[in-house]
Amino acid sequence: MTAIYTAFGMVFDPTVLAVIMGSALFGMFVGAMPGLTATMATALLVPVTFFMAPVPALGAIVTATAMAIFAGDIPAAMLRMPGTPASAAYADESYEMTKKGQLDLAMGVNLVFSVLGGIFGVAILILLAPVLAEVAINFSSFEYFWLACLGLTCAVFIGTGDPLKGLLSLFIGLAFACVGIDPAAGQPRFTFGNIDLLSGINFIPTLIGMFAVSELLRGAVTMEKGGRSVPQAIGSLMTGVGAVFKKYWFNFLRGSMIGTVIGALPGAGADIASWVSYAVSKKTSKEPEKFGTGHIEGIVDATSANNSALGAAWIPALVFGIPGDSITAIVIGVLYMKGMNPGPTVFLQTPELIYAVFIIFIIANLLMFPLGWAAIKSAKQILRVPRNILLPVILIFCIVGSFAMTNSLYGVILMVAMGVFGWFLEEHGVPVAPLILGLVLGEMLEQNFMSSMIKADGSLFGFLSRPIAGTLGVATMGLWAFMAWRGVTSRPAPAMDQPSGA
Amino acid sequence: MTLITRRNVLKSAAAVGAAGLVTSPAIGQAKWPTRPVQMICPWGAGGGTDAVVRIVSALLEKSLGQPFNVVNRTGGSGVVGHSAIATGAPDGYTLGIITSEIAMMHHQGLTQLNPSSYTPLALMNSDPSGVQVKGDSPYKTIKDLADAIKAAPAGKMKASGTGQGGIWHLALIGWMLGMKLAPDHVAWAPSNGAAPAMQDLAAGGIDFVTCSVPEARAMLDAGRARSLAIMAAERNPQFKDVPTMKETLGIDFQVGSWRGIAGPQKLPENVAKIMNAELKTIYDSKEYKEFMDARGFTMIYADAAGFGTYMAESDKQMGVALTAGGLAKKPA
Amino acid sequence: MLVFLSTKVRVMRFNDAVLGTAFLLLAGVMIAITFSFPDFPGQNYGPNLFPRIIGGGIVGCSLLLMLREWRSGGRPILILADWARRPARLASFALMLASMVFYLVASEPLGFIPTAFLIQLGLFLWFGVCPLTALIVAVVMTAAVQYFFGSVMRVPLPRGILDSVL
Repeated sequence: MTAIYTAFGMVFDPTVLAVIMGSALFGMFVGAMPGLTATMATALLVPVTFFMAPVPALGAIVTATAMAIFAGDIPAAMLRMPGTPASAAYADESYEMTKKGQLDLAMGVNLVFSVLGGIFGVAILILLAPVLAEVAINFSSFEYFWLACLGLTCAVFIGTGDPLKGLLSLFIGLAFACVGIDPAAGQPRFTFGNIDLLSGINFIPTLIGMFAVSELLRGAVTMEKGGRSVPQAIGSLMTGVGAVFKKYWFNFLRGSMIGTVIGALPGAGADIASWVSYAVSKKTSKEPEKFGTGHIEGIVDATSANNSALGAAWIPALVFGIPGDSITAIVIGVLYMKGMNPGPTVFLQTPELIYAVFIIFIIANLLMFPLGWAAIKSAKQILRVPRNILLPVILIFCIVGSFAMTNSLYGVILMVAMGVFGWFLEEHGVPVAPLILGLVLGEMLEQNFMSSMIKADGSLFGFLSRPIAGTLGVATMGLWAFMAWRGVTSRPAPAMDQPSGA
Repeated sequence: MTLITRRNVLKSAAAVGAAGLVTSPAIGQAKWPTRPVQMICPWGAGGGTDAVVRIVSALLEKSLGQPFNVVNRTGGSGVVGHSAIATGAPDGYTLGIITSEIAMMHHQGLTQLNPSSYTPLALMNSDPSGVQVKGDSPYKTIKDLADAIKAAPAGKMKASGTGQGGIWHLALIGWMLGMKLAPDHVAWAPSNGAAPAMQDLAAGGIDFVTCSVPEARAMLDAGRARSLAIMAAERNPQFKDVPTMKETLGIDFQVGSWRGIAGPQKLPENVAKIMNAELKTIYDSKEYKEFMDARGFTMIYADAAGFGTYMAESDKQMGVALTAGGLAKKPA
Repeated sequence: MLVFLSTKVRVMRFNDAVLGTAFLLLAGVMIAITFSFPDFPGQNYGPNLFPRIIGGGIVGCSLLLMLREWRSGGRPILILADWARRPARLASFALMLASMVFYLVASEPLGFIPTAFLIQLGLFLWFGVCPLTALIVAVVMTAAVQYFFGSVMRVPLPRGILDSVL
């Protein structure tokens, strides 16, 4: 018990609280600014936290990432420019709500369920870390292969509008993932002798290009001098959130659960959690036809999931030193630096530090409520800025946000190229969200397939011979069979005339 | 490619301009550094290499009074960052950390760059490869494992640790050659680094992992893995119980992932001189030692000339292992 | 009918047959390139497996798109938005794109500060922001980004001509 008191003493120190507050503001700002991303927020924090004492260093990372993952929902809803790949799954849905004049409800729901999902993930981290870590550690390349397949299947479920074009988009994303050094044999592919292409197609500049830059290009042609963005009624953020909770409390629990489990799997993380939970929500919904038209249901699932995944990603990191996502990869480095060597013993050797991390997690999620509320309010002010000032400024942020991912012009080149390509695709009714998922999952899929083939001596049965892999495999293939059957029995969707999205 | 070329041209133009302005070497000597220095790291933030270059940069910043900014230029198995250091303007404001991959990649045809493409400044660390098995594995000693490998048919046993042709794959090849076995007697399952490989080991997907002991540390502490031997001349004081391969199997094979500070070719002499002295001081400092001990990294130092020789030897060794493993090819 | 002007399209839109043909060709090139990839020593599947499967997927989608277009019969090959002949809007589009290209070309020699300032100023003025406001916002935003990201967060933004001053 004394360890807990010590931990409280460590956290409720003026300096530590100041660091937490500062990084919360930083995370909110970077996450909410179109063109800047949560990934960037974490990457930029590394040098700053490197030489801090353990508690403020971990406090800064925990707080900033929690804020940024939520704040990524803000530009997604307001401008259709998701701040993180985790928000990309439901960016269209939130933006449709905004177009219907329901921005306040969309933002209120995002905020409340992000906070609740975050707390859910932390509660699991505190109560069940060792148990869940046991499950996570049993995942080898066979299980990850099926998990990646399941993730890709979700893109097809989510697809609004034209499923054929959604599938095309997914394949294009997977094709982009092939660029660079291949994950198995170490051979350069599609690099044409260019050094930068050896590093592959980085997905953050691609995300910024596909969503933000293509939106800027569209914005430029529809610019009415001095015109403003979608006008919104003045209302309270919390109106209607209670009703949503009453109606969709089960979606919240399910989303948080999926987020926690997928988040605890090393290498999967918040992005996949958000896609999977959104797809599950649509699949099991009583009103699947409303998805994609500005329907709140899927947002409840997905926004709870990506925040709960954040806390859960610390489970394998703390217990076994395995990074759960790109954020905890950095965290593990910081833990070693501060003499908190990850492992089951960390709970015995430095319990006060672990408790301090837990307390900071709870504080961060509670802080998210007022700060998120303030961020939404200020972001709405930004929407009042005339678009002829807003768009050029967003362009500068896009450039800086892409540049910071590669620390070279390559990130910006990629952003521009992907921006034009994304604009072209959307003009032709090809949705870009599946492309992002394909890019995120491509390497995971290929790496684990090749590695598994070698381990199984080229036998495909190896993919089903382990208990968890077998279950996942049968489930995935059952899903495919079901989809194929549905595809054959129902009439194919007619070609549409309207460009999808907006 | 055009882009890189253009950038190089610009940078060399800038360098020529700078050289033209600062004609007197006396002024140059007194004046470095007068503005922030970029320390390029070819590997990601939070990793081992990143940690080493950050502590070195922080100590340099303290003693030289100018910011030493660590810039991560990742990707392409390290090619991107290594290229950025080699093609930087040789004015002393672009330096970086180079790693063992620079002695490997040109054999594999990934780049033309090799250890002689740099001005070596100092070798700061080298982590030898260890051999790790699952915690409940029947192999209690490295001898058990070696016997099992010899008894098994070729390709039956599986190992991992990094990607195909990566440093820990070469460690495996070197060990196999040392036991007079075919280099691919144990099949290599490529992974995305040491941490995923260690997880796969714990999940029962592979038989053993070759990677450095600090990279395996969390799993070792958790009792999910055991380290049987390291491929080094002597034991690591941080992990005293792990014997060397030489004392147990009599195979004198040493391989490790090394890290050193370097700059582009033709670095001004005064910059090299200042850096050599500073890096030696840093290596001997209490801060550096404490930091390296905390991470479990093995300290090893060589001055500029020594680092050059060390890299040349490493280059030869990697070339042999890569050729034996059928992984080498002439650059196109 | 080949080209058609419509208010339903924002800028331009080829019909699905053209789109399918374009991706079919790209996937063909992609698959052709995989034949130059070396084998994975000792394995049945090499670096060429995934690009071929994915290329096959794109080919399949493209063929279906073309088939569907032909069945539905003769939509125009290219639909242009009815305003596409209005030069001002087209120029806005081109200018937005040109300012990104300007950054790619100019940021290394000029540095971040002048490039970002010029891009903002140019776009503000073109979009009809009052010159004084344009100047103030461009200066303030450039300085704020350079200070926060360049100095505080240490993003190595290009220094360019201001190298000796910064």
